[in-house]
Amino acid sequence: MQVDLPYTLCSSKPITGTLVWYYFICKREVWLMSHEITPDEDASALDIGRAIHEIFYRRMLKEVSLEGIKIDLFKRAERAACEIKASSKFIEAARFQLLYYLFRLKEYDVDADGWILIPTEKRKISVKLDAEAEQVLLKVLNEIKEIARLERPPPPIRIPYCRRCAYKEFCWA
Amino acid sequence: MKKTIYIFSIGEIKRKGNTLCLIKENGEKKYVPVSEISSLMIFGETTFNKRLLEFLSSNEITLHIFNHYGYYMGSFYPKTHYNSGFMTLKQCEHYLDYAKRLILARKFAEGSLRNMLRNVIYYHNRKGGLSSTIKFLEDASLKLREARTVEEVMAVEGQAKEQYYISFNTIIDDAEYHYEKRERMPPKSRLDALLSFGNSLLYVTVLSEIYKTHLDPRIGFLHATNYRKFSLNLDVAEVFKPIIVDRVIFTLTNKRMLDPSCYMEELGGVYLSEKGRKNFIEQYEDKLKQTISYERMRVSYQRMIRLELYKLEKHLIGEKEYEPFVTQW
Repeated sequence: MQVDLPYTLCSSKPITGTLVWYYFICKREVWLMSHEITPDEDASALDIGRAIHEIFYRRMLKEVSLEGIKIDLFKRAERAACEIKASSKFIEAARFQLLYYLFRLKEYDVDADGWILIPTEKRKISVKLDAEAEQVLLKVLNEIKEIARLERPPPPIRIPYCRRCAYKEFCWA
Repeated sequence: MKKTIYIFSIGEIKRKGNTLCLIKENGEKKYVPVSEISSLMIFGETTFNKRLLEFLSSNEITLHIFNHYGYYMGSFYPKTHYNSGFMTLKQCEHYLDYAKRLILARKFAEGSLRNMLRNVIYYHNRKGGLSSTIKFLEDASLKLREARTVEEVMAVEGQAKEQYYISFNTIIDDAEYHYEKRERMPPKSRLDALLSFGNSLLYVTVLSEIYKTHLDPRIGFLHATNYRKFSLNLDVAEVFKPIIVDRVIFTLTNKRMLDPSCYMEELGGVYLSEKGRKNFIEQYEDKLKQTISYERMRVSYQRMIRLELYKLEKHLIGEKEYEPFVTQW
């Protein structure tokens, strides 16, 4: 029988880092993503993120993949998992995404630090998975599961993020 | 917005680094960055290899082939990149559950009818003499609601279309395009040739858009998933034929943009010649790029097709009932 780990979405599918990120931005997007209804990739906003990865970290880009998650950069010397973001907007979302990575790494007995890197603003924000953060994270993971289990997506709500969201046309068509 | 590339010339298409290279018969080369292409439509005698297909596949470009007469022959539809098992199951559910399938079949037919009606009303206001067609189409819309089988829906739509085509005799000034009877295999008149060519272009445009969604083009609702490879594109095309294809035909004929050299007669049929196809495609592309305002957005007709597919997806997942796009004018 399948063990119900805190991070399994359904059967053997784990929650992805992106799902944690979108939980803090748009719950509807969590539902769509968890049903593999991926956004329109023609949308240029998606390219910006990819470009930032390539431009700033070309030399040291070493992604670490665990089931369902992809850590942008893992600095061995400092034992730090890094998440690269285009701006400090949605910093809370980035913090939890990273906390989730640290949580998953812990499953593999890797006790790492977390850094949010924002090259365009020359900022580095440190994130630590302490007992308190872990409690909140577990609650978030649970709520993500609940959203994914809904029969229909939560109705669209117009928020500032919609303007540059790749799901814009899908939601408002 | 990514482009559709139409190839008429005889020659070769090759991958050259990360660009597409078209080499014409006379050695002339043309390069097109691959990131700017959404699909390739091939009319001319072209050579290409597996490497090209791999390249198109990894760049998610669909390739469509037309024969000597401009008939659609088939597509290279790369391994779908947008996959959602959930959506596929929902699409099947709406096909297998007859009541659900009937709802969608009716909606597509209704969209088709209402858009035909918009065209007829527009020309009735300009030229008059079409009130009986208007009445007929309005009655057909009512009959549609009573249709209890998909076959009945198709029959109502077919009769409406017949009446609608007869109204072309009023809409189109040129006697060369007189409508008697629609014939497809082979097209017998110039109007047949225009309709056949335009409709097949639209089928392919819709197919290329379906590729960018999570829908499966093989599962249609009005046009049954029968012996054809693709049928969903035929359903969605019904809604847009009057506003895209028919309007292009009205422009081409009323503005006298086609001359006898635009047609060729072969094997007892009338077809568009290369020149005719080029003229048609030019107007067709203009039409696809034309924008209208919709839900606080400026969208082209091409984009409207995509939005239509999104609406269908939302219907399938039970979020919002599908309402076909009906033009405002």
